[in-house]
Amino acid sequence: MTAVVEVVEVSKKYGYLWALKSLTVRIDKGELVAFLGPNGAGKTTLMRIVATQVRPSSGTVKIFGQDAFKHGEQIRKRIGFVTHESFLYDELTIEENLLFYARLFSVSHENSHDIVKFLDLKRWYKVPVKRLSYGLRKRADIVRALVHSPDLILLDELFAGLDEETCNLLVGYFKGQHARAVLVSSHSIEWAKKLCERGVFLNKGEIVQDTQF
Amino acid sequence: MGFFSTVIRIAEKDLKAEFRRAYEILSILIFVVSSILICSFAWGGALTTRPEVTAAALWIILFFASVLTFTTSFTREMDRGTFWGLKTLPCSPSAILLGKILYATVLLFLVESVLLLFSKVFLNLNVSGRPMELLLIFSLGMVDLAFAGSFVSGLVMFSEGKTLLLSLLLFPICMPVLIPSVSATEKIVKGLSTVNVMPELRILLAFLFCITAIVVLTFKFVIEA
Repeated sequence: MTAVVEVVEVSKKYGYLWALKSLTVRIDKGELVAFLGPNGAGKTTLMRIVATQVRPSSGTVKIFGQDAFKHGEQIRKRIGFVTHESFLYDELTIEENLLFYARLFSVSHENSHDIVKFLDLKRWYKVPVKRLSYGLRKRADIVRALVHSPDLILLDELFAGLDEETCNLLVGYFKGQHARAVLVSSHSIEWAKKLCERGVFLNKGEIVQDTQF
Repeated sequence: MGFFSTVIRIAEKDLKAEFRRAYEILSILIFVVSSILICSFAWGGALTTRPEVTAAALWIILFFASVLTFTTSFTREMDRGTFWGLKTLPCSPSAILLGKILYATVLLFLVESVLLLFSKVFLNLNVSGRPMELLLIFSLGMVDLAFAGSFVSGLVMFSEGKTLLLSLLLFPICMPVLIPSVSATEKIVKGLSTVNVMPELRILLAFLFCITAIVVLTFKFVIEA
């Protein structure tokens, strides 16, 4: 099996606080993995390191077999990242936001029409993001992250603040993404079990359990 | 996507967003216009005989307007969380910064146009038949401010007191731009020839080269902080 993500002995320190301590994890192609744990466990820091957004204090991170921080630009072309904060610009419409991101990834924003339809965003397409509810904004942000058809999808706190209907919709969508690797961070074990096949439990920056659901 | 296309796309996105919430750019323009009107009321027609005061007033207004402009650059991206979205893009940190510089340059150009137009009407700004020289000094000073301001905006975006730090750092960093710009503007308003403003032009160009070198060499580390 090809390793999509290889994190070896990674630690991250913020001031005096260790967010991650000597963490090692490997994710293969086609895997749907959940990082679970309480607030402050290190889930978001790990996701940001894998997304090449934050450098670890020590250890190595390889994505698609390449050093994540030496080849960041090439690697980011193949990563889609959703966090609890939206990366969409409030003043622009969903369409304009998608167009902006699609152009910078050198793809057509029309690639995302299927997922726009699937997530029921068609009628909101030309509405400024600031007028959307939290759930709609989150759906639009997911489309933004998938506009370039990434091979690795990182979903940080995917289910936070969403209603059951939207969560089910997202589980349905991501369940079918077996050609890609999907990493989800969540503190909801219930939803993580519905979506993922494997759960990695973190606490105080360390892996305490790695199990198949 | 190529480097320059990325720069243009980022600037285009920022400008589109800026003009959609027009109240912010309007508040900067209102600040410029009201400052000119206050100077006009206070000094009346006496300004035509005091070029050094005219020059200083114009650059003080432009500098404060530019500080307001730079608070809409990286600091807002950071406050709204969209900065992390920029970091997901497959482009170099320099392209992101240059996009922000281009955006700031366009906004400052708008501010500067209003400033010069209203100064002509209300401060009797007399350029003694040398409008091109005045435009050259203002354009070069504006580009220098855009480079320095966007860089400082990126530098302070991770700190808590972003706006305070931006104002505190920008003034000393921009001194090498403001001093020759005021001096050159004064000489042009006095009616001196182009040869007389060459030393100031050289300083402004040298600052541009220096700040470009600093930006290119260090912004990668700033964005990864």
